[in-house]
Amino acid sequence: MTDMTKWAVELKEVKKTYRTGPIEVPALRGVSLRVAPGEFLAIAGPSGSGKTTLLNIIGGLDRADTGEVLVEGKNLQLLSSGELARLRLQRLGFVFQAYNLLPILTALENAEFTLLLQGVPVAQRKERVQKLFAEIGLANLEHRRPGELSGGQQQRVAVARAMVTEPALILADEPTANLDSATATALLEVMEQLNRAHGTTFVYATHDPQVMERAHRLIRLRDGQIVSDVAHAGPAL
Amino acid sequence: MGILLLVKIGWRNLWRNPRGTLLTALALGLGLTLLLVSLGLLDGSHEQMVRNGVRFGTGHVVIQAQGYQDINSQELLLPASVVATTAEFLQTNAMKPVVRGVSPRLLASGLLSSAANAAGVRIMGVIPQAERAVSLIPKRIVEGKYLDDDQASGVVIGADLARKLAVKIGAKVVLMTQAVPSPDTEATDAGGGEMQSALLRVSGIFRTGIQAIDAHIIQMPLPEAQALVGVTGRVTQVAILLEREGDSLMVAQGLRKRLAGVPVEVLPWRESMPALAQMFLLDKAFNYVMNGVVLAMVGLGILNTILMRVLERRYEFGLCSALGLQPGQLAVMVIGESLALTAISLALGLVLGLSVQHYFATAGLDLRWFFHSSLPTALVFDPIIYSSLSLTRIASSVGIVFLTATVISLYPALKAARTELPGALKVF
Repeated sequence: MTDMTKWAVELKEVKKTYRTGPIEVPALRGVSLRVAPGEFLAIAGPSGSGKTTLLNIIGGLDRADTGEVLVEGKNLQLLSSGELARLRLQRLGFVFQAYNLLPILTALENAEFTLLLQGVPVAQRKERVQKLFAEIGLANLEHRRPGELSGGQQQRVAVARAMVTEPALILADEPTANLDSATATALLEVMEQLNRAHGTTFVYATHDPQVMERAHRLIRLRDGQIVSDVAHAGPAL
Repeated sequence: MGILLLVKIGWRNLWRNPRGTLLTALALGLGLTLLLVSLGLLDGSHEQMVRNGVRFGTGHVVIQAQGYQDINSQELLLPASVVATTAEFLQTNAMKPVVRGVSPRLLASGLLSSAANAAGVRIMGVIPQAERAVSLIPKRIVEGKYLDDDQASGVVIGADLARKLAVKIGAKVVLMTQAVPSPDTEATDAGGGEMQSALLRVSGIFRTGIQAIDAHIIQMPLPEAQALVGVTGRVTQVAILLEREGDSLMVAQGLRKRLAGVPVEVLPWRESMPALAQMFLLDKAFNYVMNGVVLAMVGLGILNTILMRVLERRYEFGLCSALGLQPGQLAVMVIGESLALTAISLALGLVLGLSVQHYFATAGLDLRWFFHSSLPTALVFDPIIYSSLSLTRIASSVGIVFLTATVISLYPALKAARTELPGALKVF
């Protein structure tokens, strides 16, 4: 592994300011951060602290004003929109707070959506999704539409969708926010298990103490700056 | 590439709200219905205009003395041999299947008087049996009956003329005309022939709905007309009706060749009735404009519908984009959805449009109430329009609407492809 690809994510003095007319709202004020492959990391902080902006920038959904954003050594600032989309498809996975499944597709079709975009043959797609579904307790729910699933089941489908392409990095924004405590615990266990089994890097933005406790590393943000970066158990930095 | 899934997503998107989709499809389908009905009526009126125009006029091809087209003089008669030569030519194996009827006519101007009134008329001396095969006048008799070959002193007149003269079936009328001077008298009387008159009995009244015909044309047996005008055995023109309008030029050229050297002019209907031909062209141009307007309406309907659907699903497109869908794939998804919606609309439009078209093709659209007394005299127009739509027309209409929808859906597709992240995603 060269130095360029040593880090799953590397941020150098990243700044981002949102402008609405004459009003400027600084969201990130020079964030530097390194995330090693296989980390299980949580970013916590009050609303408006810049968690979501940070995830957006790491995921290539938004661009930093200044600084460098490297994902697996690739400088996202230099990539076109199409190249960013390709990177998201091939190397990243997203889990959203509101599950965000396509309501018109079944659980299986939602989960295989990204595989299909990658051009994976149908038999292989089904096999991978079904294996993952069995792993995370979704067996026999393949043909249900999101409306026919509970919140926890929908979020598992979302995790399966994020995991099925075997991405290097999964970005999860408040994944447990809409779940009850027991369901949230079960989901976190699933993600921990996937982290262990596949070595996938997880980065959460969260308010949930349970997520913070389970994270191997906890970064706290306030007013767009990192105020603490604490390692728990898990992979070493 | 996953185009199938993209199309599948597009298709399923349509059925998220089946009632809304069906209403939209119906609205767009009505556009095609409108297009098909308007095309059917325009094409139908077009065909009728030509068919009736030639049948109320000179037929598809007319043979007349050289110069008659320009000066319209009743002294210009066909050489005696032309009728027989023409009949012989049209009986050949090549011509027989394309010819529907041949009618020799003697044309003259005259004054028709009744006890109550008098009116200037255009006299047509005809062979009743032959005229039936060519002209529509025998079919438009509303009172009495058309001429028959045995009836010597009968005359059929138009309804407007009958009203003006205040005559009914069986009434006596006097027809006056100037006889054509014979070559002998020409030397001594350069002013023309003597006035001749005949007592006739009204045997039939026709109504064509065309004022120029109903108020001015009278038809009488050819021998009586020839005797009155003093040109025994001679006619002004031979009108030929063909099975297909498209053969007009071919038949005219054949006859020109056959009658080469004889001082006659052989004219296809576009030359013998230039006003009708111009009207035909004008009508055609107008049809294109009308079709363009209808198509624009349909197109705007599609654009509005698809654009609304795209705008209200900005978040969904943002999500797909976040998951790695390329802008081009987003566009394909929207185009797939648009085309699926268009396909449903076209199916509905076809069913509806062809049903209405069928009704107008059989029952016709009766405009007599509108045109009764105000029909322009120069216009050969049947006030009952029968819709006519060829398979090619249907296919091209469907094709054009489909193509329009495809082109129009490019803009909403482009808009979807340009969904900006992370603005479109509220969650992150």
